[in-house]
Amino acid sequence: MAPIIRMVGLTKRFGGFTAVDRLDLEVEEGEILGLLGPNGAGKTTTILMLATVLKPTEGTVYIGPYDVTKEADKARRLVGVAFQEPKLLWVDSPWSVLNWHAKVCGLPSGERRRRIRWVLEELGIWDVRFKSAHSLSGGTRKRVEVAKILVQRPKIAIFDEPTAQVDVVGKHKIWGMIRELRDEGSTIILATNELHEADVLSQRIAIMHRGKLLVCDEPRRLKDSIPGGDVVEVSFEGGVPEMVTEELRRIPTVVEVSAARQNQVKIYLNRAEEALPRIAELLLRLGLQAKSMRVSEPSLDDVFAHYTGLTIEEAQRR
Amino acid sequence: MMNPKRVWVVAERDVRSLLRQKSMLAMRVAWFAAQVAFFGLIANYMFREDVLAAMGGSYLEYYVAGMVVTMLYSTAIFIGYDVYEEADHGVVEYLLSLPVSRRELVVGRSIGSGVRSLLHVGPMIVIALYLTGTPSALQLSTSLFCLFLFAFGASGLSITVAAALKSSDRFDILMGVVDALAVRLSTALYPVAFMPSYYGGLASINPITFAADLFRWGAGLESALLTPPLLAVVGIVAFSSTFTFLGVALYERRLEGGGWR
Ligand SMILES: Nc1ncnc2c1ncn2[C@@H]1O[C@H](COP(=O)(O)OP(=O)(O)O)[C@@H](O)[C@H]1O
Ligand SMILES: [Mg+2]
Repeated sequence: MAPIIRMVGLTKRFGGFTAVDRLDLEVEEGEILGLLGPNGAGKTTTILMLATVLKPTEGTVYIGPYDVTKEADKARRLVGVAFQEPKLLWVDSPWSVLNWHAKVCGLPSGERRRRIRWVLEELGIWDVRFKSAHSLSGGTRKRVEVAKILVQRPKIAIFDEPTAQVDVVGKHKIWGMIRELRDEGSTIILATNELHEADVLSQRIAIMHRGKLLVCDEPRRLKDSIPGGDVVEVSFEGGVPEMVTEELRRIPTVVEVSAARQNQVKIYLNRAEEALPRIAELLLRLGLQAKSMRVSEPSLDDVFAHYTGLTIEEAQRR
Repeated sequence: MMNPKRVWVVAERDVRSLLRQKSMLAMRVAWFAAQVAFFGLIANYMFREDVLAAMGGSYLEYYVAGMVVTMLYSTAIFIGYDVYEEADHGVVEYLLSLPVSRRELVVGRSIGSGVRSLLHVGPMIVIALYLTGTPSALQLSTSLFCLFLFAFGASGLSITVAAALKSSDRFDILMGVVDALAVRLSTALYPVAFMPSYYGGLASINPITFAADLFRWGAGLESALLTPPLLAVVGIVAFSSTFTFLGVALYERRLEGGGWR
């Protein structure tokens, strides 16, 4: 099947700063593509170019058959974006925002009312539909923003951090509705910095860091691509002495050791069960007290760390 | 090509915002009524017969018609402030992402702002017509349509300048200066007969003059006109199309570059 979105060397510079750096990425029709990366990775800027809000500095993106640098008006008709920051004026009410949005997207009046009611009820904000935006909580405003696209049901639906500030129940509801939209045939791009969200929703995940695409694949395969099939996390009471990582690397099945957090090392290795006694032995020999030792499967965080040397949390802070 | 339905949906959003400005509307109508009842009436007594003749016999009538046009102009300019408020809330990006072309967006908003401005000065138009009367319903509706075209053009001007400046402080200053000069260098408040010739030259090509002339024509103050109505219409159409065109071009170029933030 031909991809419905095709980014070709997509680049955006703001002055001398490169926010999106030569992105080459294709999105298949009918999939949910997770765009995962820490704050500042360039996810939102990429989305704004897909939505024809920003013009690429270099390269382009094809939305269906349309090149956004040449046929922006046609490209725009296929896309709907639920923005990261809710786009509401203080005086707007959820009802008026959604009604106007649906109207401008060409929905006839009966269908409009039916869909808006359904989405507002599903998201639990039907009761506040006539309140003005300034009296609504951040989570509610975010739901209104997401509701726009759930009402519109565009061919290509883009959600920029759709559940930031939304409570757990709301999160699951939104995830369910995004899946439903995909099942009806929409293609979905989901930008997020939450590993779990990307993991549970996406068919494929594209990981971005500092404007660059690091890798794009199915979550399962991303995790499998981590050298060593297992991860052992060892936490210490105090800091981690430099020589510990050196010594750990000498254990034959160990592939990689990284000091993920201050008091913790992550050991990527094969056959953890064989290596565990040797790790314990080593710590004992060095006179180090381990607070905990945990064996797990690699997560997306490990995938991110593998490519950047940083956990997502650390990358957020920079 | 523009789709009229989409243009109207865009326009409707700005028209509807009129409902939120009820107290402001009341305040401006009260200000207008007081200005006419005091200044207009008293100034009328201050002029000699031959002076009044140059204004069609009554300064009060001349003044009230001109005031309507200046109020219409300053109301239409408001759309620029809306553009800034939307930029502050990030709504610009939302508007740019909608399945609407840039031309439909700018034209729709200029129409919306034009209609909104005309409705806003509606009560003032009623006060003015109460004082002046009108020769015929056809003449009046033609002249009101021209006022709409003028407000449409002034809205395009405001959107153009807002998109070009991107700073609401600079916009405020520039539009304040333009407002002060454009109103004073027009025949809105006094006829060209009393202006020094270098002012008169500018006044005779000023869209505010054209609009004032056309409203006076609709209100039956024909002896007070500077420009023949047909020429004034041409002037207003030229004014409106220039700024609609510039508005579309600038809105697109400046905003999509991403330098708004
Ligand atoms: N309009 C702009 N002008 C200047 N810099 C910008 C602009 N928009 C985004 N940036 C910068 O580009 C980088 C990427 O931002 P963004 O795309 O918002 O990342 P993300 O959505 O992944 O958090 C950030 O460093 C941000 O500060
Ligand atoms: Mg973002």
